[in-house]
Amino acid sequence: MSAIRHQPALYKIVVSHYLVAALFFLTLTIMFMFSINEIAGHYFQPRILALTHTAALGWGTLIIFGALYQLLPVILETPLYSLRLCWASFVLLMPGILMLICAFWFFDPGLMMQVAGVLVLSGILLFNLNVLLTLKNKQQTTIFQEFIVTSCMWLALTAVLGLLLVFNFRFSFLPQDHLAFLRLHAHMGIAGWFLMLIVGVSGKLIPMFLVSKYQQIALLSYAYYLINAALLLFLIDGYFYGINFKTNLILLVGVAGICTYLFYVYRCFVSRIRKDVDLAMVQTLFSFVLLAASIGVLPFIFHYHLKQNPLATNLSVIYGILIFIGWISALILGQTFKTLPFIVWVKHYEHLTGKVKTPMPADLNSNFLLTIQCMAFLLFLITFISGFVFSSLMMKYVGASCLVITALCYCLHISHLLLHKTSIQHYDQI
Amino acid sequence: MIKFDIPACLSGMDVALENGLKTVIDPELHVNIVDLGLIYGITVSQKELLIAVEMTLSTRFCPMGESIVSAVNHCLERLFDQFHISVNLVWDPEWNFESITPAGRKALWGTSTLDPI
Repeated sequence: MSAIRHQPALYKIVVSHYLVAALFFLTLTIMFMFSINEIAGHYFQPRILALTHTAALGWGTLIIFGALYQLLPVILETPLYSLRLCWASFVLLMPGILMLICAFWFFDPGLMMQVAGVLVLSGILLFNLNVLLTLKNKQQTTIFQEFIVTSCMWLALTAVLGLLLVFNFRFSFLPQDHLAFLRLHAHMGIAGWFLMLIVGVSGKLIPMFLVSKYQQIALLSYAYYLINAALLLFLIDGYFYGINFKTNLILLVGVAGICTYLFYVYRCFVSRIRKDVDLAMVQTLFSFVLLAASIGVLPFIFHYHLKQNPLATNLSVIYGILIFIGWISALILGQTFKTLPFIVWVKHYEHLTGKVKTPMPADLNSNFLLTIQCMAFLLFLITFISGFVFSSLMMKYVGASCLVITALCYCLHISHLLLHKTSIQHYDQI
Repeated sequence: MIKFDIPACLSGMDVALENGLKTVIDPELHVNIVDLGLIYGITVSQKELLIAVEMTLSTRFCPMGESIVSAVNHCLERLFDQFHISVNLVWDPEWNFESITPAGRKALWGTSTLDPI
C-alpha cells in the first residue's frame, strides 16, 4: 500500500518546498505591484521576465516538486527513489532561481544569469533523475505515469532552451531572433511542463478528492496525445514559419485535448459521491475556468499578430497573467489546502487515530484565511483585468493590492498549518 | 453489512464492535468506515482471544489507507484490551458505491438513494 505516512525526512523536504514557494509567491505579488507600468507594455522586458520566472520557477515549479515528492508514491504506486536527490535538487534550485530573478530584474545577462541558468537546469535534471529512478522498477505503465514522465521531459527541454537563450544574450549564436525562441521556450514550459503535469496529477487526485465514481481514464489518453501533438506541431511549425494561419489549426488540436480533459474533470465532478465541495476544491475547479479563458485569448493574439496590430502584445500579457497568476496560481492556492492539511495531520495524528478522538485533516485549515484568500484572489482578477481593458491605473493598483493580500493570507495559512499543535479528546471524556 | 462470526456466549459483542468501529472516520469523506461499507467481516475467537477484521479500502492506493487500518487496530485494542487484534485487507470483492449503507449515503449527499447527483 502506497499511503501518505509520516516520514520525518520526507516531511522536512516537502515542507521546505511549500515554505520557499509561498515566499516566492509573496515576492511575486510585491514585484507585480512595482511593475504595473511595465505590464502595460511589451512582454519582452526585464521586469516581466523576472515576474514570469518567479511565477513559473519559484512559485509553480518549486511547490509542484514539493507536492510531487509526497504524492508520487500515491500516484505512481511505488516508493520515492531518493530523498538525497530531492535535497540536492532543492539546494541547486533555490540559489539558481533567486539569482535568475535578480539577473532579469536588474537585467544583467552576464555571469550571474549564466550561473543561475546552469544551477536551475542542474536542479531540474536531478529532479528528473529521481522521478525516472522511482519509476525504474515499476512493472505496469499507467497514463498518469506517461503524463508525469512526459512533463518532466518537457521541463528539461524548457530549461535547456532557457539556458541557451541566456547564453544567446551574450554570444548571439541562435539561428533565429530571440523572441521566436522565447515563444517556443514559454510554450514548452506552459503546455509541456505545467499542463502535462497538472492534467496527469489532477487526473488521479481530482476523482480521489471528490470521491468520484467516474473511471473513464481513456479520456485522459486522448488528452495526452492531442496536447502533445499540438505542442510538437507548434514547436516545429513555429520554428520554421513563426505564427501563421496554420497556428490556429494547431491551436484547435490543443484545445480539443484540453476540452477532453475538462470533460473528464466535469464527469468526475458530476459523479462525485460527496455532495459538498469544500472551498479549496471550488478554487481548484475555478482554475480550470481560468485555463479555458486563457486559451480563449489565443486566437485573438494570433489574429492581431498576423495583422501586426500592437493589441497582440497587450493580449499576450493578459494571456500570461491568466496562465501564471490565473490558472496555475488558482490551482496551487486551492490544492495546497487539500494536500498540506493531510501531510500535517499524518505527522500529528496518524499514531493516535482510534486511540483518541482527533480532528479531521480539513479541520486543520483556517476557513477564515481561506475565505479571505479566495475573495482577494477573485477581486484581483476582476479589478486587474478590468483595469487592463479600460487602461485604469487605479484599478490595476487595487487589483495588485488584492493579489498581495491573497499572498499574505496564503503565507499566514501555511504558517498556521505548520505551527499546528496536536489537539485530542479522550473518548471517555466525551 | 458486516458478517459477524462470534461465539454465542459473547452475544452483544457484535453491537459493541460495530459501534466501536463507527468511531473510525474516513479523513476525507468524514463518514465512518462501517457506513462506507469498508468492513466486510469480523471473526471473534474466544479460545485464541482474537478479533480478526476483514476489511477493504475505497481504492487500493488510498492515500490514507494506513491511517484507517491503524485506526481500526487502535480502536479495537482500546475497546477490547483482553483480545489480540488482526486486520486483514482484502480486495475481493472490490469496494464499490453500492457498499455504502443508507446512513452513509445520507451523510454524503443528504438522501439515502443511490444516485442522486
